[in-house]
This record gives sequence, structure tokens and C-alpha cells, in this order.
Amino acid sequence: MTTATPNLSLPATSGAYADGAQLPKTVKVGGLNHFFGDGEQRTQALFDNNLEVRRGEIVIMTGPSGSGKTTLLTLIGTLRTVCEGSLQVLGNELNGASRDDINHIRRDMGFIFQAHNLFESLTAFQNVNMAAELQGISRKAAKERIEYLLTRLDLGHRIHYKPNSLSGGQKQRVAIARGLVHRPKLILADEPTAALDEKTGREVVTLFQEMAKDEGCTVIMVTHDNRILDVADRIVNMVQGHIRSDVAVVEASVICEFLRQYPLFAELTPNTLTDMADKMMVRQSEPGEVVIRQNDPGDLFYLIRAGHVEVIVEEAGKSEKVAELGQGQFFGEAALITKKPRNATVIATEETTFYTLGQEDFQAVLDQSKTFESELRSVLAGRT
Amino acid sequence: MPLLRKTPLAWKNLTHDKRRLAVALAGIGFAVLLMFTQVGFQKALFDSQVKLIDDLRGDIFLVSKAKYTLAAEKRFPKERINQASSCFGVAGAFPIYSELTLSVLKNLTKGQSSKGYPIRSIGFHLKDPVLRADAITDQIYKLRIPNTALIDVRSKGTNFAFPTEDDDLLADQPAELAGKRLQLVGSFELGTDFAHDGNLVMSAENFASYFPARKQFGNPLDVVDLGVVHKQEDADLAKVRDLVDDLLPNDVSVLTREEYRNQEIGFWDASTPIGIIFSAGKIIGFVVGVVICYQVIYTDIADHMSEFATLRAMGYKDRYFVRMIVAEGVLLSIIGFIPGLLASWGLYYFLANMTGLQLIMTMPSAMKVLGLTILMCIASGLLAVRKLLSADPASLF
Repeated sequence: MTTATPNLSLPATSGAYADGAQLPKTVKVGGLNHFFGDGEQRTQALFDNNLEVRRGEIVIMTGPSGSGKTTLLTLIGTLRTVCEGSLQVLGNELNGASRDDINHIRRDMGFIFQAHNLFESLTAFQNVNMAAELQGISRKAAKERIEYLLTRLDLGHRIHYKPNSLSGGQKQRVAIARGLVHRPKLILADEPTAALDEKTGREVVTLFQEMAKDEGCTVIMVTHDNRILDVADRIVNMVQGHIRSDVAVVEASVICEFLRQYPLFAELTPNTLTDMADKMMVRQSEPGEVVIRQNDPGDLFYLIRAGHVEVIVEEAGKSEKVAELGQGQFFGEAALITKKPRNATVIATEETTFYTLGQEDFQAVLDQSKTFESELRSVLAGRT
Repeated sequence: MPLLRKTPLAWKNLTHDKRRLAVALAGIGFAVLLMFTQVGFQKALFDSQVKLIDDLRGDIFLVSKAKYTLAAEKRFPKERINQASSCFGVAGAFPIYSELTLSVLKNLTKGQSSKGYPIRSIGFHLKDPVLRADAITDQIYKLRIPNTALIDVRSKGTNFAFPTEDDDLLADQPAELAGKRLQLVGSFELGTDFAHDGNLVMSAENFASYFPARKQFGNPLDVVDLGVVHKQEDADLAKVRDLVDDLLPNDVSVLTREEYRNQEIGFWDASTPIGIIFSAGKIIGFVVGVVICYQVIYTDIADHMSEFATLRAMGYKDRYFVRMIVAEGVLLSIIGFIPGLLASWGLYYFLANMTGLQLIMTMPSAMKVLGLTILMCIASGLLAVRKLLSADPASLF
């Protein structure tokens, strides 16, 4: 029997081992550093960024201004040259890509900028058509698509108006239609709903969701609009050039649901649960691998994301299987609470994915709730 | 061409702001006007240099090899005229005599001490069909009288103040040519040029009597300034020209009207500062046009930087933008050319009336200016396109 080497590099909430993990990655950021300026003026804007975005995911990037989220967005959008590290977009490595490659990749992307950037001289239809023409979409198909999009965005009666006679929100919606007309594989948007009212803003994100679901279109947007946070599959928070958190929303809620099922976590507030989920890391074990060994010092708390384990207690030279645990169940908390060595050995019976929480973080969670520890003690007392 | 099916962005951007378009067209029209003025003046002045050639009858002309311009007094023996007239395909060959240095005309109205000025005297045998002007052929009978001549009505007025509008008055004016009395029996119209301030036309006999010193020994009419050759009506011009050229010794050039015209204009264009001055004028017009056009296109680009950056983000290539700007330049030049052409037309008409210069809008010169205008707008577009290619989509987020 071998001891598993803990894989602590990936946070549990990144969703890297959750459902749909096998989906192709639209964006793969690896060890990405970015700098502005030269020589003495050179400042680093991004520090060792790592991020994976799956096909069909809607990603919302948040963070204070100057946190580098816009820089990361322009890098993903091929609008800046990659300095250091790896950046793969739609299967193409951008670091060292040629101009032609980049122009090619750009055609698979839809950009929605904060400013509408519409040509005053062109009608709404013609502005949107500029994007369609580049793709060589047939005129008939383009016309249908443009009319459909503009109508969906409540501009059916303004199709042949020039920007001069449109309101700010209407112009922004024309720009959104322009970003979507060619059915891009990746949409990059900067505050797309900032200029829109609740209803039209909702219509825009609904369109995003439809394209993500029906066409596998990936959406990455920077927004501070709390009204649309609910559409995010993943929320990436950046601070000072670092990706501080990268949370697959569904996965985070799955973890919270798992934890909530147990009386000792049930009393925790959603905030504490989310914090706990955020700090968990992924660990994987092969069948037959020893996850924890009896009498070893306790260092991690384990939640089973997928797979099965056996719990074996050795007493007086005899091994006895005391329990079998599966998805959503947890173990390893006793040694952390009591600060004593492990009281049992856990062996994976199949390929198993765990989400683990370190001792310090676990302790921090405990401190959040005064009732938590006593509860836990009673649970533990009940168990032994 | 796929460009035609696409949104005509160049055209739309150009015509969207009507006020700016009007300013642009005024600017380009002005440059067109400048160029037309230069081209027009140049052509008018060159045309006036060859007005005599244009006014000659005949198909082929004989000039001394040494005569690099009409004003150069290089002559050839009369023998050549006789030789040419005997050539196959030639209907007739006739001499024209011309004198400038000895030909000093004095208006004696204010007495004997009046100052004389050089004037070109043209002599011809009155029976010879060499001059086109009806005014001359109609008055040939007057020229049979000794010491008579016709004067060019456009002779420089400050030098030769003769009342050309009234023949009777003119005939009463006392005048002196090369120290001998002359009666001006009528007038005709030819025009002045850089070398000649006026013209007299007279019979060959009178011409000989005024300028006996043309030839040091012998008959002054034995040396000819210009030979006029008529080909037979059915003969081929180039063929006759070559035949005459073969026949005559090497001291004369045998030229068609076109060749002679080109030779004469070529001299003024290439060997005098006149050509350079007009070229400089045209270049100035061109440069003014480039500057104006550059300004128009540059402002248009500068005002739409974020829109163009958006197009680049979409994946539009540099080639698209270069093509668009070239299209914009061509459109600007064509629509700017029209008001410029109309204004030039008006100016030509006005100046022709004012100066007597032959300012005529011809198809070739209009085409030449249109070509320059298109070139001008494309050049300024290509200068401005660098600004467009600096549109950075990274600045949009």
C-alpha cells in the first residue's frame, strides 16, 4: 500500500474535478505574468495567473480597478501580446502567435466594450453587419440573424436608425448585437450591462446564457453589476494582479450542500460555509491508496467529492473495517479537533476525489461558530 | 469584387458629416484650381509660342538644323525649297522670311526722335498659300504696294501705339521700319510670345527692300527662315515627310506640324526656366492638395479611432484599412475634382477675357489634373493610414 502525495495546488471550488471536467477548455492560462513599460518604468500587472475556463461557461471577473482583470481580459482577447507564460485560447497558444493567427482567432471571438464604438455614419443594421461581413456570412443569413438579435434586444423598431437617434442604452445593445452576430465561440465583455436598465440587462444575459447552452459559447465578462451575478458559472476575483479566488459557483454550492447535511455544519452561515469551500483543495487517490493512516498526526479534513473509501481501525494487531464512506461524506475531523493522532486508517476502494481543508483553515472555521465546537464534541462523543 | 457588396464604410464616413465634407471638397477644389491654373497658363503660354506654326498653312515644315527655336535667326538656302518642291508627293514648297534683330519699328507720331522697338517682320510671296489668317489673304492687294505692311493688332501697345482698330487712321500714322518709311495698310491678329512683342506681315519684295543686309552678298531672299510644304492631297503625310527628309541635305530638319510644335514647346519647356516655374507651380498645388486632403482624412481617422480599433478587435486586417483609406482618397479626389473643375472653367473664361491668353480647358489637361488629384488624395491617405494602423484595440477595455 502506498501513501498518496497530496495534490494541494488546485482549489476545490475551481471545479476542476467536478461534473463536466472533461469539457474542452476554451481558455487555459498558465503561469501568466504581464508587464507594462520598459526598463525602470517596468511594472508588473499580472503575477503568475492560472485559470481554466470550460466551453460553455459564463465567467464573471470581479475585483477593484487596477486589479488586472482588464489586462487579463485583453490578453485573452489577443488584444495585447503575451509577455510571459502560457495562454491558450480556443486551442491556440497566444504566446508567440503570428499576426495572421491572431486575426484568425479574433474572428471566433465577440467583443463587447464598455463604450459602444458604433460608426455614426452607419445604421444599427450596418454597424452589426460590419461584424457579419468579416465572417463571410451570406447576406440572407446575416440579415435574418441581425434582425433576430436586434429584435431580441428590443430594437426591432430601430433597425435602420443611426446611432445619433438612439439612446445610450440602445446604442449599447446594438454594440452587443454586433458582438454576437457571428456566433462567436468566446465572448469577452466589459461591463456589458452598465448602460442598461434591469429588464434589458436581463435580456442580454439571458441571450448569453442561451448561446452558452445552445452553442457552447463561452462568456467572460468583467462586471460590477450585482443584478447579473446569478448567471455566472464561475466567479474569478482578482486583487493586485493575482487571481485571489476562482470559484465554480455550482461546485461551491455542491460543497456547501454536502456540508450542510451534517448537524455539525448545519448551523454555519452560508458565508462561513462558502469560505470553508473556498479554502478546500483537491486531492485524488488511486484504488487501494491509503488516504490517512492510523496513529499518523492529523493534518487535513476530508470531504469525499466522488468515489468510495473504507475506514479500518487496528486494535491489538487486528484490522477491522468499521465503515464505508461515499460521495458527500467526510472524515478526518476528529484528529484535528482533539489534536491527537489519527484513530483509524482510510483506504480508497476506487479512484476517489477528495476536497481537503488544512488544520489552520479548519480551526478558523471552528472559531467562526461558538456552538460548532461543542456540537462537534457531542457528535464525536456519540461516534466513539 | 467583394468590396462592392460590403458596407461602403469609406463612402459613409466621408458623406456623414455634410459640413466637414463641404470643407474638404472646398479644400480639394482649391488645390485642383491651383493645378488647373498652372496647367492652363503653361499651355496658354506654350500655345502662344507656337501660334505662328498653328497659323501656317501646309503639312510639312523645313527649318534649319541650327534653328532651335522660332526666335533663333538661323536660315537655310532657298535651294532647299526648290528641292523639296520637286519631291514625289509634294504639291508645293514655299519660303517664309522672318527678321527680328534688324526689324526695328518706330512710331513717328511724336517725331523723329521716338524710340524704336524690335518687332518680328514676316515676309512671304503674296501668291504663296502659306498663311491661314483670312485677315491677311483679304488684304493681300494692299501689300502689293511698296513699303507697306500689316500690323498685328496684339502687338505690345506700350511699344507700338498704333490705332489698329481703324485702317484709315492707321494708314495715316507715320512709321519707320529699319530706318525706312513704312505705311501700315491694315491689321491682322497673331499674338505675342516670350521672344516677340509684335508682328508685321509684308510681301517678300518689301521684306527684301527693308532688310538687304540679311545676306552679306547677293539676294536677301536667298536665305529662308521657314519652308512650308504642301503635300499632294492623297499622299501619306509620314511617307512624304520621310521622302523629303531623304532628299534634302542634312542642314534642314523636315518636320510635320505636330513634330514642329513639339520641338518648339520642348525648347521652352526644357531649356528655359519657364517649364520649371510651371512645374513648381503644379507641385505647389499638389502639395497644398496633399496637405488639405491629409488633414481631412487624418481628422476623420482621429475622430473614429475607437471604432476602427473595434474593427481591428473583430479581426479586420491592416489590408482592409489601407484599402478603405485609398477608397476614401479616390472618392474625395473625384468629388473634389468636380467643383474644382467648374471653378477653373470660370477662372479660365475670366482670365482669357482679361489677358488675351488662350486659356482653354482641354480633355487631356483635365485628365492630367484629375490624375494628379487622385494621386494627391491617395498619397495623403497613405500618409494618414499610419495613424489608423496605430488604433489599439487593447485601449478599448
